[in-house]
Amino acid sequence: MNRNTGFIGWFLDPKRRGPLLIAPAIILLLLVNIVPLMWSLGLSFFKFRANQMKPPSFSWFYNYEKMLTKENIWESLQTTGIVVASSVFIQMILGFALAMLFAKKFPLRRIILMLVLTPMMLSYVAVGIFFKLFYEPEFGLLSQFIQIFTGEMYVLLATPAGALLGVIVADAWQWTPFVMLLSLAGLVSVPKYLYEAAEIDRISWWRQFTTITFPYVRSLLLLAVLFRTIETFKIFDLVYILTNGGPGTATETIAVLVYRMAFQYFRTSNSTALGYILIFIVIVLTSLYLYVIKKRESADI
Amino acid sequence: MIKSLKNFLLVALATLMLVFGTTKIAFSKTVEIVMAAPDWPPTRFMQEYFNTNFQQSGDNEIKLTLDFIPWGDFYTNVAASLTSGEQKYSMLVSDSQWLGAFIEGGYFQKLNKYIDADPELGAIFDDMHQGYKEGYTTYPYKSTNYYGFPQFPDNYVNFYRTDIFCNPDENAAFRAKYGKKLPCTYADWEIIVWDDIFDINAFLTRKKGDMMAGKPLDDDIYGMAYQAGKGYDFSSMQINGFFWQYGGDIWDESNQPNAQAEGVVNSDVNVKAFEKYLDLLGTMHPSHKTGNMDIFGIQALYLEGKIASMVNWVGLGAPVVDPKLSKVHDVTGYARQPGTMQDDGTISRWANLGGQPFVLTTWMTDDEIDAAFKIIKWWLDFDTQIAAVKAGGQSCMKSIIYSDGYNALAPWNAAYVASMDWQKDVWHIPEFFELLTQQQEEFDKAITGQKSAKDALDSIAAFQQEILEEAGRIQ
Repeated sequence: MNRNTGFIGWFLDPKRRGPLLIAPAIILLLLVNIVPLMWSLGLSFFKFRANQMKPPSFSWFYNYEKMLTKENIWESLQTTGIVVASSVFIQMILGFALAMLFAKKFPLRRIILMLVLTPMMLSYVAVGIFFKLFYEPEFGLLSQFIQIFTGEMYVLLATPAGALLGVIVADAWQWTPFVMLLSLAGLVSVPKYLYEAAEIDRISWWRQFTTITFPYVRSLLLLAVLFRTIETFKIFDLVYILTNGGPGTATETIAVLVYRMAFQYFRTSNSTALGYILIFIVIVLTSLYLYVIKKRESADI
Repeated sequence: MIKSLKNFLLVALATLMLVFGTTKIAFSKTVEIVMAAPDWPPTRFMQEYFNTNFQQSGDNEIKLTLDFIPWGDFYTNVAASLTSGEQKYSMLVSDSQWLGAFIEGGYFQKLNKYIDADPELGAIFDDMHQGYKEGYTTYPYKSTNYYGFPQFPDNYVNFYRTDIFCNPDENAAFRAKYGKKLPCTYADWEIIVWDDIFDINAFLTRKKGDMMAGKPLDDDIYGMAYQAGKGYDFSSMQINGFFWQYGGDIWDESNQPNAQAEGVVNSDVNVKAFEKYLDLLGTMHPSHKTGNMDIFGIQALYLEGKIASMVNWVGLGAPVVDPKLSKVHDVTGYARQPGTMQDDGTISRWANLGGQPFVLTTWMTDDEIDAAFKIIKWWLDFDTQIAAVKAGGQSCMKSIIYSDGYNALAPWNAAYVASMDWQKDVWHIPEFFELLTQQQEEFDKAITGQKSAKDALDSIAAFQQEILEEAGRIQ
């Protein structure tokens, strides 16, 4: 039996096959993800603009301090908070209601379900353009409809509140089906015999809902809240296309502000610092949700 | 015998034509110039005209490839390409405001040594209209450091519906109501100031079904519209003109580090000018409230016959006269935009310079630089410029704009040329985009009624003061 010796033998040892096989993926991940991430983290401690020849100069936490003391950043975070809270709330209510509806059998259920799921399969850009045309004061459907009653064009995006509402409705329209899908998965997993037993015991609908239905879907709903909160926190495309952050800065979410800072103002190190502040917020939110889920699970046990 | 000789000569001639007609001039190599360009008619024309009319000369074959990028993404794409270091473009069309940002970044080639060494380039520079030369080529603004050549010069003109403004019944009704003439001819518009537009807009704002110029309207119509868009530089371009016409100013970058932003940007004169802009905007098409009444927005409204007049760039004029795109292609007149009456009875018409230069990048080889200058000379040559103007373009070369027959080449030329001496440019400094974006946001807050003119200008002035002090441009 001819066995390899030396380096080749060491390299081809069966003990190393596992690490060897996953090594390309790890290297790729390091190159395209971890290295740029570390690079940008480093940049956030320097003064640097990508469009200027000046070499970076070390500035400790100057960029973080600057970002956290800027009034417009807090305003932007507040706007993002309003969008996240409102949109996720609407998505949860409507998504769950739709799931309750589709959990029952009725004619053409599958086809209607497929149509209801369509918005979440569209790109943000397509949804943004669709709603921009929908809200358009001259020929948009919304304005045309309101014009029937008022005789005047209706310009939804002209006021801060209207523009925020426009963004929230568009985001909720696109992502309610996602919440519905998760809720539906929970609802169909509820054992039928529980409802049958409840029927025999003549338990009210509300009691059935609170003691049987909701506990089964609760963890999936929390997962939906987690996913949608993180995603909505990063909302960019929809806002950029629909309102460009306007009127004024009324709908300028934090992701839009980071984009402007990085690629329009070329405040590279400022934008990386702000990016890391955002990552920190998202990590805190995620941990909070996971903590809540874990606490409820242990309470259930 | 004669017949066979004739046949022989014909065959010989045909053979010669075949041989020499298909023989290409032997070039030592092909030099390709890739140029980033916004996707619109003036640049499309440049590519098409180059392909058919550029005369090759020298050892190298020159190929020009324009990379067309939609206007909305143009700055972002170009900035990303330059800062990434991919060195994709040898030349690019640049807005004049971008000069500082990309010169400081080391991407745009300084041209002085080439201009000094080449009398033909020197002659081109001498021939450029002074205001446009300062706007398109200099950094710092108004210095003698040159970086660009004009690709498409532009300024505002007033496009108006002659079927409405020249209608005798409308004129009579307007005179009866306001005691003055509804402007119809170029000469009539020459005495029109912004204050007159209040009456004109009130008179021409009508509902669907109302009569207009003897016909019932099939849609609502409004009077004049100008820019009020939150995107890019849309509102600023119009509002800066109001500041200058009222005797106010923007931060003066040519007077660094002494020029201040606070006290200038939010001066009483500027507040008054901005209030006038806002008051007049209130009489215009309601789409201004969306922040989308930008150059393309008002163009669409005008082409659809929903406004009676628009102040817009000449560069957007070609679709107006295109019957396939415009309902008003045969009923449009052209004049200078209105101005502001001064104490001495003259009308101030200051406006923000439009148009774009093209520039050379710093990584070009000697062959590419040589090819680029051949392209520039070809583009700014008399015949090419005339062809461009006929196709809807413009020129800022004095030998061309003041030549006989120039005003007859395009219907808006008279208004364009007459406006040329009234152009000033916005900042060329690297911080321009930050200043511009914040200014656009604050203008938009005032336009949408969230802030007063004074509060918006105070905020802009404070922001500019902070940014410019931080950059060492104000002491």
